[in-house]
Amino acid sequence: MFVCLCNGITSQVVADAIAKGASTTNQIAASCGAGADCGRCRRTLRSLLGASTSDQGLRN
Amino acid sequence: MRSADPQAHSMVIASDYRVPNPERVWPLLQSRKSALAGIGAHHVLVYTSTHDYGRVLVTIGVRSREPIVELLRSRVFFDWFDAVGVEDIPAVFAGEITERFEASPPSNPEAPGVVVAAMASVDDVSMLTEEVRAGLTRFTAAGVRKTWIFRAFDDGHEVMILQELDDEDRARRWIEHPDPAAPWIAGAGRGAYPPVFVGKFFDMMRIDG
Repeated sequence: MFVCLCNGITSQVVADAIAKGASTTNQIAASCGAGADCGRCRRTLRSLLGASTSDQGLRN
Repeated sequence: MRSADPQAHSMVIASDYRVPNPERVWPLLQSRKSALAGIGAHHVLVYTSTHDYGRVLVTIGVRSREPIVELLRSRVFFDWFDAVGVEDIPAVFAGEITERFEASPPSNPEAPGVVVAAMASVDDVSMLTEEVRAGLTRFTAAGVRKTWIFRAFDDGHEVMILQELDDEDRARRWIEHPDPAAPWIAGAGRGAYPPVFVGKFFDMMRIDG
């Protein structure tokens, strides 16, 4: 899925940023550029952060 | 695959989102026909949710030599979301159709069907396609008339599946008790993927280039 249309960033790239430690939308923006321009994709970024958190909860 | 199929041999851009006023979507799309032609769009299909007021699924068939990233960055999409009152830009699926299955014989072709759409990540798209092919008898028995499988450009595991079922009851049963060959139902609604969409075909616009 293309998440950030401004910078053409996909959900996979965002997932990689989260896997490397990004835990806020600002950190995702700093890591890969998603949400860094208009910021209108940040709701989707929060959904990706939430999915990652629940995945970690399932693993723990 | 029939050559008249508007989704055939084409890049497909799809997005599922909520608008404040779904009645405005179609006239606004029509007023943007030339802008859509400018990005190579040849068909636009709109589906409206049956129970979730304001939720729409819009698919755009595009023939373009531009990379998909450049297309998505064009002002056409931002202007569109602004016009329909969408503040939070949704995730966008971009891919191409890989297979189209049809029930044989059609179960109740006279009545308009219900569309069930899902975007999800699956283990293996080729294997999934074969499992759907092998399960077509079960699909037909469950009221599935048609199944379109789209594969994403940016992720080899990502699919968008559009299905047409006989009616709302069968669509609900299909979602609540999906066939083993339909793992995408369980994968929808996670992360960037919207929940399973249940709706009706609203209209289709052909755009001459």
